[in-house]
Amino acid sequence: MRETVITKGVISDPKSKYGNAKRSTRDFLLQRLSGASNILFTIFLVFIVVRLAGADRAEVVALLGNPLVGIPFAVLFAIVCFHMRIGMGDGIIEDYIHDQRTHRLTLSLNTFFVLAIGIVGVASILKIVFWG
Amino acid sequence: MSARPRPLSPHLTIYRFTITMTMSIIHRITGGALYVGTLFLVIWLAAAAWSQQALDVVNLVYGSWLGALVLFGYTWALFHHLMGGLRHFVWDLGYGFEPGQREALAWAGLVVSIVLTLLVWTIFVWM
Repeated sequence: MRETVITKGVISDPKSKYGNAKRSTRDFLLQRLSGASNILFTIFLVFIVVRLAGADRAEVVALLGNPLVGIPFAVLFAIVCFHMRIGMGDGIIEDYIHDQRTHRLTLSLNTFFVLAIGIVGVASILKIVFWG
Repeated sequence: MSARPRPLSPHLTIYRFTITMTMSIIHRITGGALYVGTLFLVIWLAAAAWSQQALDVVNLVYGSWLGALVLFGYTWALFHHLMGGLRHFVWDLGYGFEPGQREALAWAGLVVSIVLTLLVWTIFVWM
């Protein structure tokens, strides 16, 4: 976690640059690229959930276990995780959580949550693809 | 001279609500809701990867009226956030900023998100 916390001291210092310019540009671009990819993810998600809602394991394996469905879905899902991290970090935590310690803590929790979700999600899909 | 913080602009409470502003706020809220909702997707995927017993439990919970309600809300949040994203692509490309166009885009996003949600549920759940 290298996000700089913007304190009143930082704001009042005319020499400060409000954090990491390179990271901000990278996140701006990444959020839009991942957003575009998420259009495709949404179509996949609706298709998969509609087909498999309430289905048993055999049916899930039959559809999601098809590498042509499972592999792209896993990749698109991983990209969703990047979008989630930037959205929660830039869009919500940095705008609304002002207390420095809570700010740092929530940014770390954000990274942890997204990592956990991403790893378990991708691992589950790949398990279904490769081992049924 | 001692340094003091720069003045901040006034926040939400003093502004009259406009459709673009409301859609922007809802875009953030739906983003946050989808963020949390992804957990439910992963629980389902993990249960399906794990065992039939685990999947049965998840199907029982998600198939309840409360589960269906959450899923319905998730569907709308997904489509609303998608429409918001598409609107931002239009704006990022430099179009749709004229008076009337902004509002039309915001209203279109809201209407399309509701129509898509009802369409998906009507075709795949209720019919």
